[in-house]
Amino acid sequence: MKNYDVSNGVMIYYLPKELDHYAAEKIKKRSDSVFKEENIKFLIFDFQDTSFMDSSGIGLITGRFRKVHDKGGCVYAINVRPEIDKILKMSGIYRILFKKENKEEIISEMIEGGYYE
Amino acid sequence: MNNTNEMVVEFKSAAQNESFARMVVAAFITSTNPTLEEVSDVKTAVSEAVTNSIIHGYENRDGMIRIKAKVDGRKIYIEIIDEGNGIEDIKKAMEPLYTSRPEDERSGMGFSFMEAFMDGLEVESTYGKGTIVKMWKEIGVIRHQFE
Repeated sequence: MKNYDVSNGVMIYYLPKELDHYAAEKIKKRSDSVFKEENIKFLIFDFQDTSFMDSSGIGLITGRFRKVHDKGGCVYAINVRPEIDKILKMSGIYRILFKKENKEEIISEMIEGGYYE
Repeated sequence: MNNTNEMVVEFKSAAQNESFARMVVAAFITSTNPTLEEVSDVKTAVSEAVTNSIIHGYENRDGMIRIKAKVDGRKIYIEIIDEGNGIEDIKKAMEPLYTSRPEDERSGMGFSFMEAFMDGLEVESTYGKGTIVKMWKEIGVIRHQFE
């Protein structure tokens, strides 16, 4: 099963129902192997299906942020449910993670910013 | 009618058991009639403690993790017990953002989350022998909303 899509340096990762240490380790491996092959500048975490998360998820996001930040990119979160929002807020990670409603909102910002022709 | 109950469950220290641990505790506390948010808070706290036992206590070696839980009325008491490495400096381990494993991308927020999502937290540890994390929470209490 494919858990992500990549196009034009943008990777969108569809997160699982439960984002704990077990899931985070697998996502870390999968995304890092894609990072080796492709030049990813923007990473979008799609929380659509996610209803549980603990601090392992925070570690995952922070680690991936470092990788794209080095290339001048950034990390987004979309489709965030209230129970997940509570955890993300508490952790203080919104200083480096941009929350948007959905993918379309990010794409239109990228077009405005001149990233997409 | 007085609602009291107790349970003990023991499972192998393995990452795939993290979700099992959360589900067992969530099912056990249903008699306290928690809100979805309260269930979610308890699940997160349990997940943090069990993950600590797996990563730091046993360092991914074989070992057993035991959860003891009790309900008394609408109060919940949970203990997560391992016979792993133990914590050398509990005060340091509990400092927000401190992690002994930054290379593994651990956030250092485990104990902070346990403290935030439960009413109380106590850690007993003997270096080389193991760790007991005790947490408690009263269900149905209106709390200051975090913003």
